[in-house]
Amino acid sequence: MKCPRCVQRIHRAAVACPHCGFTLADADLRFGAAEVRMSQLTDRAGILRRGERERIGKALERVTLHFPQIFVAIYTGALGEVANIRQFGFWLLNRSAFEDVPVHLPNEAGILITIDPESKAAGMIFGYLLDPFLEEVDTFECLSRAHAYWLEGQYAEGLMRLLRHLEKILKKRSRQARRDPESFEKKVMPAQKLGHRVQILRGGNRQEAAVEVQK
Amino acid sequence: MKALLLATSLLGVLTAAAYEDPFLPEWIGKERERLEDAGWIAGGILLSDEPLPEDGALELEGPTADELVGDSQLPPEIPEKFLSAYFAERPKAFLIDPQGLLSPQDFRDRLKFLNDHSNDTAVDLYVYLIGGKQDIPGQVREEELIERFFSEGRPAAIVFYYFGVPQRSEVYLSPSVTDAVPPAEQQRALASSVMQAFEKLDPAEQLEAFLVQMSIRVYWMERMLGGKPSEQPFAAATIVKKSAKELPRSASMVLVQAKFTKYRLPAGIGLAAMAMGALVHYARQRHQKTYFPVLEVEPRLGGTHAAGIGAVISFASVTLPPAAQRDQVPEYLRRA
Repeated sequence: MKCPRCVQRIHRAAVACPHCGFTLADADLRFGAAEVRMSQLTDRAGILRRGERERIGKALERVTLHFPQIFVAIYTGALGEVANIRQFGFWLLNRSAFEDVPVHLPNEAGILITIDPESKAAGMIFGYLLDPFLEEVDTFECLSRAHAYWLEGQYAEGLMRLLRHLEKILKKRSRQARRDPESFEKKVMPAQKLGHRVQILRGGNRQEAAVEVQK
Repeated sequence: MKALLLATSLLGVLTAAAYEDPFLPEWIGKERERLEDAGWIAGGILLSDEPLPEDGALELEGPTADELVGDSQLPPEIPEKFLSAYFAERPKAFLIDPQGLLSPQDFRDRLKFLNDHSNDTAVDLYVYLIGGKQDIPGQVREEELIERFFSEGRPAAIVFYYFGVPQRSEVYLSPSVTDAVPPAEQQRALASSVMQAFEKLDPAEQLEAFLVQMSIRVYWMERMLGGKPSEQPFAAATIVKKSAKELPRSASMVLVQAKFTKYRLPAGIGLAAMAMGALVHYARQRHQKTYFPVLEVEPRLGGTHAAGIGAVISFASVTLPPAAQRDQVPEYLRRA
């Protein structure tokens, strides 16, 4: 888990980044605190043709068909020179209200792909539901699949490749979660429980030290 | 003008004088007598003024009565008892040898070759095997035979091969092919096949060489047809399989065929079941729903829905790989 601003690792349940103090409020100051209404496929940059939008729309539906708990959204737009695509994605998934996503799917179940064709950058962010299952490297693999196509301006084809690979990764992670659920549970285990284990360990050490002192 | 005519005449006279015949050589001393005593003067007959001696007619013996009778004898015709096997119907096999001119093994080998040829090309090759000193009876007209039997079905090249005398062979094409392949090409095919046959001494080997070359030439004829697939594929091949049954086969072949016949139905059912299974599996995979266990995750950085920061990638440079364009730089290190 990394901070969207300083890209440093942060611990689970960090209220603010321990390195730079970043929170969603900072992003709100930059992008606005109001709720943003958008559709699952928002092509603000206008880089997709009509036929391509339909094709990608079907691919997005297919993801939800195969993975009924989650949905994928795509946003394309120019963020300007100073805007950071990582922070923008973080802010957008927290503040957006997707009009065409089924009501039973909250933003926690979302994966947001952001493309800025102006600065030629793209990023992925995912909700808490997938937090234990997806790693940053998984999203990098997905983006790498699209990289060659985006270099040539074939945004739709790149997105199709990305979605296809994303489905593969999600299937793989789902299988792993069924086989070994504990390893994923550990990732999101509340800090209190971990603290309890630490206390036991440290308590044990103290008890041993006390015994030595008594001797 | 007169001066020009005079000059031309003068030039003509001078030129004529320059082109007089050269003087003939003359004998010096007793050179001639010396050569005559030796017995022979080279070219003497040409240089002499004496008349040429008349050639005496060669006295050769005339042909005997038997030889004269033999010349008029025609090769014997194919025995009547084989005529129906040859010409009564369209051949059921690619090699027609009712007289048994080939040994059984050679027959099987040549037939297998012709069957393979049929499987590989669109133009079948039929071979009528006739004795080297035999002739096709006069009432059988080859053109009419071809027209009657080979107008339908797959295109075919029909060869009348005289066993042991390949140069007597004739080739005909079925009517569907005749227009596309010029007669010259047919003759070239025949000539090259005969040439190949002549490289062997044994009549069976001659036939083998002939057929190999003819098969190659038929393949080129097929190319001339433009590789058009026949309207009735493998019709003739099916017939050939029927006739192949009549041939003696090895015990292992019989065993294999018997097993195949016995297990044909179960094998078919098995294959169908496998195909059905694959289809069902594919359909299930296509509509399979995948779920994740729902785990409780504590919110981070004030985000109510998400804080899972994925990768950011730049696609500005076509020379750098994606890994080199992965954005890992914090914001405060960026230029504003």
